[in-house]
Amino acid sequence: MPASSESITLDGDLHARPAGALAVAAGKFAATVTVSVGGKTVDAKSVLGVMGLGATSGQQVTVSADGPDAAEAVAALIAIIGEATRVGG
Amino acid sequence: MSHEAPRVGIVLVSHSVRLAEGAADLAGQVSGGTVRVLAAGGTDDGELGTSADKVAEAVAGAEAGAGVLVLPDLGSAVLTVRAMLADMPGARVVLADAPFVEGAVAATVTAAAGADLKAVATAAEEAWHARKL
Repeated sequence: MPASSESITLDGDLHARPAGALAVAAGKFAATVTVSVGGKTVDAKSVLGVMGLGATSGQQVTVSADGPDAAEAVAALIAIIGEATRVGG
Repeated sequence: MSHEAPRVGIVLVSHSVRLAEGAADLAGQVSGGTVRVLAAGGTDDGELGTSADKVAEAVAGAEAGAGVLVLPDLGSAVLTVRAMLADMPGARVVLADAPFVEGAVAATVTAAAGADLKAVATAAEEAWHARKL
């Protein structure tokens, strides 16, 4: 199983709508996907888990995936985090 | 997974019109608006209570071809939902035992990702374990 991981610094807080967008996107991949912030790691497919991270602007977020489409999942989620946290919500 | 595949629909049954509508609004926005999330709140005349007719109408409206998950706000809404389901044999409807707001959001987001009815129900029920702090 290929594994993949990438980090991004948040441009804004990870509010409800970005968390929702992240979990919806993660749920479309077969790979297991996790999001880590400040020592906490949650299932990226769980919107409540992502919201519970309480990730704020300036924090580093790491997306990790393991599975057949791991690289695609990481790229998609990093892009969503970059865009969604700039918009806010 | 095809983007054209129908999504599981969500029905939020509350004793309060505004609580049901507010939760449906929140779940719809957080999930990106691709899932049918219908509110069935209050009695037929808009008072606090539940209405089997409102629930049946919402279930019919939420059915997009992949089944419907019904979430009650309090235990007493369960009686109304169960009575309504007894009158709809063959309907692909699952009644979830879940916290109302968290369950609605988790279920709707999971449905938006294309999950089946069983997985959407599981997402709602796993919301019991989600911590806010």
